[in-house]
Amino acid sequence: MHFASLRLRALLAVLVGLALFASACGADDAISDVADTVGDVASDGAAAVGDAAGDVAEAAEDLVTDDDGEMADDDEMTEEGSDAIVTETADDSDLTPVEGGTLRYGLEADVDGLNPVTSALSSPGLTMSNAVFDTLVRFDENNEWVPYLAESFEPSEDLTSWTMTLREGVTFHDGTPLNAEAIRVNFETALGDPLVGLAVKPFYIPLEDGAFEIIDDLTVRYNLSDADAHFPTSLAGQLGMIASPTWLAAALEDPTLNQAPVGTGPFTYDGRSQDSITRFVRNENWWNGRPYLDAVEFVPVTDPDVRNQLLLEGELDGLATTNPASIAELAESAAIQNLLDDSGDESFAQLNTSTAPFDDIRARQALTHASPVNNYNTLINLSVTRPANQFVTPDSPYFNPDIEQLSDMPELAGPLVESYCADFADNCTDGKINMELQWSGPSVVQTRIAELLNEGWEPFFNVEFQELPQDQHIQETAFGLYNAVTWRTFGNPEFTRDSVWVLCRTIGGISLNWVKYCDEERDDLMMAAVASDDEAERTDLIQQWSAMTNEAYTYVFFNHTLWDNALTEDVRNACARTTEDGTPFRCSVNGRTWFDTMFKTN
Amino acid sequence: MSPTNPTNVADVEIAAEAETGADHVVNKRLGFGFWVSVGWIVFIIGIAALAPVLPLKDPDANFLVLEERENPITGRMQEAPVQPPYAPSGEHWFGADQDARDVMSRTIYGARVSLTVGFAAIAFGIVFGGPLGMIAGFVGGWFDRAISYLFLVLLSFPGLVLAILITALVDRSLFTISLTLGILSIAPVGRLARAQTLVFAEREFVMAARTLGAKPFRILTKELLPNVMIPMAALALLGMAVAIVAEGGLAFLGLSIEKGSTWGKLIRTYTASSGDLESSPWMAFTPIGCLFFTVVALNYAGDKLRDYFDVRELML
Amino acid sequence: MVLLLVGVSMLTFAAMSLLGDPLFNILGPIAGDTENPQNIALQDEAKAQYHLDKPLPERYVRWAGDFITGDFGVQFSTDGQPPVLNLVKERLPRTLQLMVIAQILALAIAIPWGVFAASRANKASDKVSTFVAFGLVSLPNFALAVILFYIFAIKLDWLPDTYEATDPFWGFTHGHRLIQLILPAFTLALPIAAVFQRLLRTDLITTLQEDFILMARSKGVSKRRVLFGHALRPSMFSVLTLFGINAATLIGGSLVVEIYFRIPGIGTAIVEAVLREDFPVVLALVMVITLAFVLLNFLVDLLYTVLDPRVRS
Repeated sequence: MHFASLRLRALLAVLVGLALFASACGADDAISDVADTVGDVASDGAAAVGDAAGDVAEAAEDLVTDDDGEMADDDEMTEEGSDAIVTETADDSDLTPVEGGTLRYGLEADVDGLNPVTSALSSPGLTMSNAVFDTLVRFDENNEWVPYLAESFEPSEDLTSWTMTLREGVTFHDGTPLNAEAIRVNFETALGDPLVGLAVKPFYIPLEDGAFEIIDDLTVRYNLSDADAHFPTSLAGQLGMIASPTWLAAALEDPTLNQAPVGTGPFTYDGRSQDSITRFVRNENWWNGRPYLDAVEFVPVTDPDVRNQLLLEGELDGLATTNPASIAELAESAAIQNLLDDSGDESFAQLNTSTAPFDDIRARQALTHASPVNNYNTLINLSVTRPANQFVTPDSPYFNPDIEQLSDMPELAGPLVESYCADFADNCTDGKINMELQWSGPSVVQTRIAELLNEGWEPFFNVEFQELPQDQHIQETAFGLYNAVTWRTFGNPEFTRDSVWVLCRTIGGISLNWVKYCDEERDDLMMAAVASDDEAERTDLIQQWSAMTNEAYTYVFFNHTLWDNALTEDVRNACARTTEDGTPFRCSVNGRTWFDTMFKTN
Repeated sequence: MSPTNPTNVADVEIAAEAETGADHVVNKRLGFGFWVSVGWIVFIIGIAALAPVLPLKDPDANFLVLEERENPITGRMQEAPVQPPYAPSGEHWFGADQDARDVMSRTIYGARVSLTVGFAAIAFGIVFGGPLGMIAGFVGGWFDRAISYLFLVLLSFPGLVLAILITALVDRSLFTISLTLGILSIAPVGRLARAQTLVFAEREFVMAARTLGAKPFRILTKELLPNVMIPMAALALLGMAVAIVAEGGLAFLGLSIEKGSTWGKLIRTYTASSGDLESSPWMAFTPIGCLFFTVVALNYAGDKLRDYFDVRELML
Repeated sequence: MVLLLVGVSMLTFAAMSLLGDPLFNILGPIAGDTENPQNIALQDEAKAQYHLDKPLPERYVRWAGDFITGDFGVQFSTDGQPPVLNLVKERLPRTLQLMVIAQILALAIAIPWGVFAASRANKASDKVSTFVAFGLVSLPNFALAVILFYIFAIKLDWLPDTYEATDPFWGFTHGHRLIQLILPAFTLALPIAAVFQRLLRTDLITTLQEDFILMARSKGVSKRRVLFGHALRPSMFSVLTLFGINAATLIGGSLVVEIYFRIPGIGTAIVEAVLREDFPVVLALVMVITLAFVLLNFLVDLLYTVLDPRVRS
């Protein structure tokens, strides 16, 4: 296991180097062409890494050996300005596409329903949605937004309203035409949904004042509450998935239809048996060409070891995983292509600033100092993922290299706890601060995490454990009924889209600003970044924002989640789609890839 | 079906329970095996109780082993943690787990909770089920019928399901779990107490006491209680084994106590990943072994005790 | 018997109603919102729709009425709230398959084992067999599951380590559920087989002392024939009894076994439902399990009466 993870880091390092090499040469190929098979990567990479060491694999491995959870090699990566997306797929240029076949794809869990406007979809839900729905907008590999199901966007002078024009002649799987009315139904249903609406409403003027206008049959206008230079990026996620209005209306009457989604996507819903399989077949009338695959089947396999096994045995053609041991094993296998990406969400512990003890910054600081983040990354993440200290990886232009998270420094915690307990004796017992750590379970890994964190916190905190079923855990977190929770969010390719989790305006009965931390000054920085179209200015604003966040001690960052979308060698042509000017689309976003271009060679 | 039939089921079960015991040949010696079992039970209770004062490793500490590795780029030697789990060694007799914690120490500390739950549950069952069953058997009439019915409902209910229900809905403290398993043990204990009471209530010495005008309370405590106590001791050992296993089952489903470890919880943690089970089986097999030996010892000792006091005959 | 079902259902109903909040399952976090009037309206609507605003006894009577007519209610915490009956229809066959295979395995192991032990009563091999049986009875099913899994799926790799509900049932490769069910079924079967065996052995030893056996032996009937042909038959009564009693062991065991081997059956469903506090699902599943248990015991009683005239009196 140990060596596997070393190799993985080696691979990462090589590929990071290679990506740099490719972009330096002005590579205009798809990302999937960047790397060859694993073996070739190593030899090709030699030139790219350009290191004195003859054997690249060895050199890279050493890079890893150097890394014991510190940020050292990550900083190096930043200096190189390397790409965040690390892919490793077969070379498809010499292959003629094969039509037919069924792709079986393993997911971490099943979902309750697939209605994008009424339920907050989990990661597996969004992956399935990529087969059946199209988003209005997609990101290209440079994280620039590109109209996809929409044809174009036009902002107003002051950037507070955006006019969107749709493609002509697109129809949903049920024959309903895609038009302005369909967009309205989707938007208003999402806005009206008591939960989904929470994430949407804060950014528009009230619906009754005209948040949404229909200009003509294919043109609509969104009216925002604030200037937003990157508004279309909000339509690249769940909100941009457009479902058939006919189906939405029917699903409102008969909620069981939520299991049978109707969109415009490359595949149409075929059947679903909960907890075993969900099947989609080719959409013969897709607006964007003809998918090669006859069908895509999604199979939830909750045990990551079993999921891996099924892929290696060929029972599955692909899978998504964040399990470090699994990723290490898959990266080892020459027969597997890995689409690796850690630019997405971060894992962290978040502290509720609305109640004692973490309403006091000293308690938050002390907890951060006492947190054994290094052990976390060694033991829980097997050193496979990159440690985090802010919401972006060093690969992001918004990364602030000056930020230092003062964790693993228990010596700093003592005086703070002492001072806190002197002021609030009621919240302390035996000179330690009383707190509760909550997580979602039953989960073995989450329990291990709790025990590991407690091992660091114990000298300064009396930690009560509370393991709750996922729904209840989210509920209590949303209502602020917690002290500390382990959590995973952020990771939108457009940084400012994640403002929904941090602004003062999303604090309320149900808070999406989970930590309930409000700082108007910090919000101003964020909103200025939202409104700005000047990259240098944005970088500066976001870096300042990150620095302020770091000083607020509301999050104890652990790592950047590393997603692996692994495919067998038979699956070709993944992520081959490009924008009209030839830039490849992003291959995966938060562990979700697309299936429309894939084909199977046998 | 008539209301007498459920009792029929219950009686059959008692008979079957008796028959599943040891051989027909009633062995009037406790035997070597009994004392080995008692020895193991005493041993495990002893080290569990004394764990804090024994020279054991901190069960929660992460004993990461650092190794010197050369970094050829810089040419420097650097320290980096070796990825756990670690195989058994002089340092860690039963190895160290995924988080580099000492497996032996965790298993011993796990025994504290597992044994406490087992003991508390059966104690609760005896304290509440015993008198209930005795009074029911002694008083008879509608009270007896009601109590018998209650026992039957409790017995018909899939026990583990009730335990899951309560732990998931209330909380998962040591107290709640012990209480839940305690409630579940009321019915079997109560039924045995009732059956014993019924047998002895017809005996000469009880009759004699009655004729002499002893108060019911006196008969219950002075005449019947001592006779019910003996089979109860055997049942207590068996019941403790059942409660320990039940807690393990709960833990295995992820529903035992949240903080601290129990044998079941350790087994769950160490078998959650088949990769870990394959590469480091010693982690899982240490608590499995302890649990198994303890349950075998309790069952064996309980069986022997039952045979020794000839409880099976009395049960008829 | 009906009284028993009523008791169990009342107990579950009361526990779920007093301890859980069904509203939360239907609405999610909205259920906890006391500020937003829109959300409060939603709460009221849901309460009215599922009669949650009515007093407990009334709700129980409503539920019981529906249940008797075959309406098990809806799954609160699943999007779209499909009927519980769908879930039962989907999950029950899987659990039944597992249990039937387990029972067959248990008998297939126990009968030869019991006969073997009885024919060598109190010899060394019998002592070993008694010892093994004792160990198996004492081994908790989750530990047995781990041990069997480790030996047969990991080390020897003879049996598949996954269960795939979409695979065809009938067939003899790793891609068939019949084979995938062997390991879980063995986990359930071994302890039961040990109990059967012990009973059978004791019974057989007694039977073998009886006159008609001694007679058959003296007539020159082979030992094997006597054992399987003559002595076994009367002992089947006791095995039959145990069949009913073991239903409880089997049901409890299948909970753990289904979870460990990831079989989406009734056991998995009930654990999931309890964790989500999905009130109607838990209630329906508990009732299904209790009903099965009671029916099985009833059948055993009935068979017993039919087969053995002595019991009738």
